[in-house]
Order: sequence, then structure tokens, then C-alpha cells
Amino acid sequence: MATRSRSDRAAVLASSVQRSKPAPYPSKARSTLVRRTVVVVLVLLALALLTISFRSPTSGALHSVQGAGASALRPFQVAATRVAQPFRDAYDYVAGLSNAKAEAKKLKQENAELRRSALIASARAAKYPALLKLLHFEQGSRFPQDFNPVNAAVITYPNGPFAHSLTIDAGSNSGLRVNTPVVSGDGLVGHVTNVSADTAVVTTLADSQSFVAARDLQNGVRGGVKAGPDGTLVLSEVPKQFRVNRGDAIVTAGTRNARYPDIYPYGIPIGRVSSVGVTDTEAFLQVQVQPYVNFSSLDAVAALVPKRHR
Amino acid sequence: MSLSDGVKAAVVLFVAAVAQVSIFSQLHVFGAVPDLLLVSLVAIALLRGSVVGAVGGFFAGLLVDTATLGTLGLTSLVLTLVGYWIGRYGETTGRDRAHAPFLSVAVVTVLYQLGLLVVHFVLGESAPAGAVAQSLFPAIVLNLILTAPVYALVRRLLRPAGREELTAEVQLLG
Repeated sequence: MATRSRSDRAAVLASSVQRSKPAPYPSKARSTLVRRTVVVVLVLLALALLTISFRSPTSGALHSVQGAGASALRPFQVAATRVAQPFRDAYDYVAGLSNAKAEAKKLKQENAELRRSALIASARAAKYPALLKLLHFEQGSRFPQDFNPVNAAVITYPNGPFAHSLTIDAGSNSGLRVNTPVVSGDGLVGHVTNVSADTAVVTTLADSQSFVAARDLQNGVRGGVKAGPDGTLVLSEVPKQFRVNRGDAIVTAGTRNARYPDIYPYGIPIGRVSSVGVTDTEAFLQVQVQPYVNFSSLDAVAALVPKRHR
Repeated sequence: MSLSDGVKAAVVLFVAAVAQVSIFSQLHVFGAVPDLLLVSLVAIALLRGSVVGAVGGFFAGLLVDTATLGTLGLTSLVLTLVGYWIGRYGETTGRDRAHAPFLSVAVVTVLYQLGLLVVHFVLGESAPAGAVAQSLFPAIVLNLILTAPVYALVRRLLRPAGREELTAEVQLLG
């Protein structure tokens, strides 16, 4: 049976009769046609939707249908979001933990920078009143006409109760010399006792070696201002017969004799008389003066450089 | 394809589309978003052929465009072509090959992104080619991670096409 079958097939294969080209199987052709039709229709439909939607994205029937569809889908979206929320929270928590260290480091840096900026800003703000006062003094009528102001910042302060000098950031390059008077917006600070190219040492009136020829602005009484007890000043060498009142303003006396010029120009405020004492044994009044300048909290000063060097 | 298979495929695509617009669209990993809908469509198209792939892609895209109130037909157009092309691959050379889902997802991820880019560009909308290029590799990796579980699930729901369905494409002699 098998042999016969094989011979039959061999006979068929060996046949020299030319068969016509077989027609495509109906099911395959139909399948291909359906497949192609479906995809073409869908693509055309998508293009049509795309065109209509693109031309009128916010109005028209299609937009209304889309809106209704979106509303219908909304509950499903909300449900999906709620289902996913615990997983999202867990993910955020883990991600937050992994980022926490880097975030903390970044925030610390930002915090340090902000603190530094705030300190700089507040330090500048703190200097503002002193600078303003100094500016007013320099532009006011009391400023000595024969001098130019050289503004300088105080870079070191009196270090301890026995030091009465401070350093400013202006020196000989700016015209400062030894004995150049130095003022602040409040009044007389002292004079330069040492100078380098860009810095200078200013010895304040609180130093025991300082002495300033001064006068009472109200009654013209003259004397010398020097350091007194507890940070105050003393107006010395005022004879008993003169009258000095508490509250009188004391200013620099300036030059009286051209042969012996004073280092301080006339009229720079020094302080206000805080007390006046008289004793039988002393030949002079004991006049205590409260200085206008707080020597321990100076920020900005001006050195008075003569317009014409003497 | 039976009616129950059609319903199952529709449910899979519906759930995938809703999850895509509600959940997966918010998962940005290295600038890329995992595309559950695309992977699901690829799985269905591989298992059920080009017609199902094209129809599924069309309606899934329509769903996405409706839910996001985007330009209707834009996603449909691209997903229709994706579903059809992968379906044809499944019907011919990709049939019963273990690497077919992964290869399909990797290739289709690139083509899908490029297709969307082109359509957006043609419509005169924002088409950030640089950003798309940068996110391509992470997107491929993310979609490949999704491929195994999604394909396994879809294959479990839609049993592979039987012999009688295959003969519609390839006629055997004898």
C-alpha cells in the first residue's frame, strides 16, 4: 500500500504536464485583504480625527465628545491614582531617604551662605549710621575749610583697657602723616601717631599722652583736654575765676599763635561738660568732660589732611 | 479570535491605558517614563496578530488622547501602526520565538518615540528631539523591565493562537 502510494506520488512529480499557476487560497487572500483594509481604515480614521481635533481643539462636536469621554474616564483615573497612592508614598519615602543626606548637605551649605550674607549685610547696615553722620559732618559748616577728609575704616580696635589706639586702613599713600587729626561723625577721635603706606595708628583722646587745646563753646574759656578717670576726659588748666557750666560743649581751640600751630583745627567737637568741681587747695577748676565719641565702637573715621602741607 | 479573547484584550488595554495616564506618566526615571500601554499592546499584537494589534492600538490611543484631552487621533495613529507592525512580526518571523517580545518592545519603543516626535513636529507643536534622544535608552530599559511580567500575564489571559488560526496565514501542503 505504501509502495503504491509512493509510486503514485512519483508519477505525479515526474509528470511533464505543465500545471497552471495555482490560484491563491481564498482564505489567505481574504485575510490579507481584511488586514490591509482594517489598517488603512484605522489610519484614515486616526488622520481624520487628528485633523478635526487639530483644527478646532477647544470647540466643536468632537471636543464635546472628547470632554464627555474624559469625564467618563475620570472615575477610573481617580481609582487608579488611589490604588497607586500607597506605592507612590512608599517610593517617595525611600527616594526621600536616599536623597536626604545629599539634601541635608546642600541645605547646610545654603544655610552657611545665607548666614554669611546676612552677617555681611547686618555689618554694613550697622556701619551706616556712623557713615551717614561722618558724611554730614564733612559736608557741614563745622568742617574745617583748610582740610580735606580722607575716609577710612577702622580695622583694629583698642585691645584692652590699657590700649588707646586703633588702626585705620589709610596711610601715607592717602596723605596721612604723624599728628594728622582724626575725627568721626560725632567729634574728635585723636591723632595719627604712626603711619605706614596704607595703614595708620590713631591714638585716641583717652590715651594718657594725649593733650588737646580746647575751649568752652558757650563762654570761651580755654583749657587743655586730656584723659580722665573711667573713660572720661578732663578740661584742665581752667583758672578758678572762670565759670564753666555743666552741659557746655567743648571744642578744639585751634591755632592761637602762627609760630606754634596746633595740630587740631578749630571747632571740632570734643565732648560735653559732665561735672565741674572746685576745691580750696587747687588753683584750677576740675572739669570733667564726657566725650562725644565712643572710642571702642568706631567704624568709620576721617583723617583731616591739610590742603597745604605745613 | 474568540469574543472572550477580544473582551480580555480590551480590558487589558483599558486598564493599561488608565494606569498609563494616571500612574506611570508620573514615574520619571532618568527623564524617561515607563510605557505600560505600549508593552501591553506589543504583547497582545504578538499573540493575536496584526488586525487585533491595529484595532487595539487605535482604541487604546483614542483612550489616552481622550483621558489627557490631547489632540484626538495623535496617539491612535502611532499606536495603530505599532500594533499592526508588531502583529505582522508575530504572524511571521517572530512567532514562538522567546526573544520576540523583548526585541519588539525595544524596537517599538524607539519607533513610537520617533513617531510621536514626527507627528508633533508636523503639527507644529513642541518637538524636543534632544530630550527624546536623551530619554530613549532609559525608556527602552524601563519598558524591557516591564516586558516579562506583562507578556506573561497577557499570554496567560490570551492563550497562544491555535493551529487552525495559524493556517489562515501559512497554508501547508499535503
